[in-house]
Amino acid sequence: MSANGDHRDAVAEIEARRAALYALLGRLLALPPDPECLDKLQQLQGDDTPLGMALSDLALAANIEMNTLEDEYTKLFYGMGQGGEILPYASYYLTGSLHDHPLAELRRDMDRLGIACGNVNDEPEDHIAALLEMMHGLIVGNFGIGVTDLSEQTRFFEAHLATWAGDLFMDLEAAESAVFFVAVARLGRIFLEVEGSAFRMAA
Amino acid sequence: MKEDKGHLVTQAVKRRDFLKQAGLVLGTAGAAGVMAKSKEAQAVEAENSGRGYRETEHVRTYYELAKF
Repeated sequence: MSANGDHRDAVAEIEARRAALYALLGRLLALPPDPECLDKLQQLQGDDTPLGMALSDLALAANIEMNTLEDEYTKLFYGMGQGGEILPYASYYLTGSLHDHPLAELRRDMDRLGIACGNVNDEPEDHIAALLEMMHGLIVGNFGIGVTDLSEQTRFFEAHLATWAGDLFMDLEAAESAVFFVAVARLGRIFLEVEGSAFRMAA
Repeated sequence: MKEDKGHLVTQAVKRRDFLKQAGLVLGTAGAAGVMAKSKEAQAVEAENSGRGYRETEHVRTYYELAKF
């Protein structure tokens, strides 16, 4: 294989890993992992980078009973009729209330980028899982706009994630009921820090 | 213009090197095989029309991408 081909493969691999991490975090924060998902998580192996160690920790944390995990998810994100310990919405973190201007701004960007809401639940689109899934979609080209370049990804990241997701992950890591989600939160925090630094590097 | 382009290429290389060192390749070795989605998944999305955000795709997307 040519050196150019190797280079292209290396680039594709990094972008694919970024996309996969966004997809993974989006999935874990959208609904409790099922047994098959937990089984796959247990097989994750990281190296000695902070990101790699966070993945290894997640693999260990995935060794958990389904019932325990479902309880944890409910306490963290739904609560018992009065909301969970964590409100994972951009609008809440940025303004203190739900459905405020950050959600309106997100909807404008979604429209521009050809992103539609699936309407499969009642969650507003500025839920962290939806935003992570949108980043994934922008990288792999799932949306009307197709594969987006780095400047579009940077714009979306800075506008809708950089301003609050780090705070959310710190809160989640420290939340009273968090056990499995301590590892999820740490992975999310470290990955988004890496992404933020990388975006700034390319700006 | 030429200089600008050279600058952008350098920045892109810096970013990639940074991501590599941050563990975006070896650090996620357990998630080997995470590449583009299969044709099957793409076909499903094509049916869903061009405006693609579907939360119902969560699980499918995850399994397609994270083939550990």
